[in-house]
Amino acid sequence: MKLPSGRLVRSRVITDPRTVLVDALDRALTGYAVLEPQDALLLDDEGAGVVTFEDGVPVVAYHTGTDRGGPPALADLAASGPYRLELYALAAADLAAVHDRDRFRVPPGMAAERLAGDQSLADRTRERAPADRLADSADRGTDEADRSASAVEAFLDDEEKIAAIREQARQQAHRRADEWGFDV
Amino acid sequence: MVEAFAVASGKGGTGKTTSTLALGMALAEDYDVTVVDADMGMANLLFHAGLADVETTLHDVVVEGGAPVEAAVYERHGLSVVPCGTDLSGFAAADPTRLRDVVATLAADTDVVLLDSAATLSSRSAVLPIVLADRVVVVVEPTIPALSDGLKVQEYATSYGTETAGVLFNKVRDDDAIDRIAPKAERYFEGPTLATVPASDTVRGARRAGQPLLAYAPESAAARAYREAARSLSVREGDSGAVADRFRSAVVPESL
Repeated sequence: MKLPSGRLVRSRVITDPRTVLVDALDRALTGYAVLEPQDALLLDDEGAGVVTFEDGVPVVAYHTGTDRGGPPALADLAASGPYRLELYALAAADLAAVHDRDRFRVPPGMAAERLAGDQSLADRTRERAPADRLADSADRGTDEADRSASAVEAFLDDEEKIAAIREQARQQAHRRADEWGFDV
Repeated sequence: MVEAFAVASGKGGTGKTTSTLALGMALAEDYDVTVVDADMGMANLLFHAGLADVETTLHDVVVEGGAPVEAAVYERHGLSVVPCGTDLSGFAAADPTRLRDVVATLAADTDVVLLDSAATLSSRSAVLPIVLADRVVVVVEPTIPALSDGLKVQEYATSYGTETAGVLFNKVRDDDAIDRIAPKAERYFEGPTLATVPASDTVRGARRAGQPLLAYAPESAAARAYREAARSLSVREGDSGAVADRFRSAVVPESL
């Protein structure tokens, strides 16, 4: 997926992808976010996630490491924070070519629901989405709920990623056991 | 006999407190059940159980020279309920390691202890209920962050010698494809799927009414799912005295 460079509006390390979605929605951002996992354990899980926005509403998702687009790309991105986040503004016209690629598109509320697990943010995002976006997904037979569920399934199918999450938690638990005086 | 369960999720908003009380009431049909609000930093069980106005709570017990545990035990809805106060100064004064003694005392006189746990793994007091419990009930929504955090809870539990009793899928909507998601999730959890609880306005209604779900709408689909989950838990026999001793000598040192 090729995107023209945009104007950097924000760059920081975040722990929760929800931050990106709230920020983009509040700014009514047209542009894109690049999310690069920072965790050393997951560095072999190379690549970054890209989510584009129109007026703050997510349009397409893509993962450069797995080369997957749409809901599976959200699964690739999930749960591997903290991330280095870069948020770019870009003219809508420059996003058109990317936004035309159906297989990269995600329904408006899906990132909030499945990446952030935040139903009210998803509702707010859908309210902001133009009617054609909502109709669009129904017309193409890509029922939003189905695709959301498929992101969760894609996540659960990724055994390596889940093994990495578990290993990271295990190490954290042992490290903290020392700090907290638990005897493990 | 006694077995202690931590009801945990690692993530907020999954319906832990509703689940704790619902499982408690369902288990109370067969067992003597004590429910403890062990989420001492963000307690809310008292609102769910209609105990918002009580004078003595867990906060008053876990301070230096505090009240005896018995003073914070309330018999409600067929359960013994130990609510926690919501006052932050109460939390600041609380010594979380005393929770161990509280659980030990309660364990001497009940069949099942349910610990409503904090929605985070980031502090010692938040993780303590998971350390103290025999098994953990992991409450998740069918979303990526909730599942991911549920797996982290399990890893913490395993690391601290606590088993996984099972996974409770909560707030499940018709279109969540739970019949595909639950079996996939089960491959990673050490325990079975205990039940899938449908999302419903009834649960919110119960919360607003300050009543546990099983008292507010006992025949609702959600209530039935919780009863099914309770049946799947198969509570283990444990010697109360031995369990109490184990809690007293638990791995937590006296001082921070």
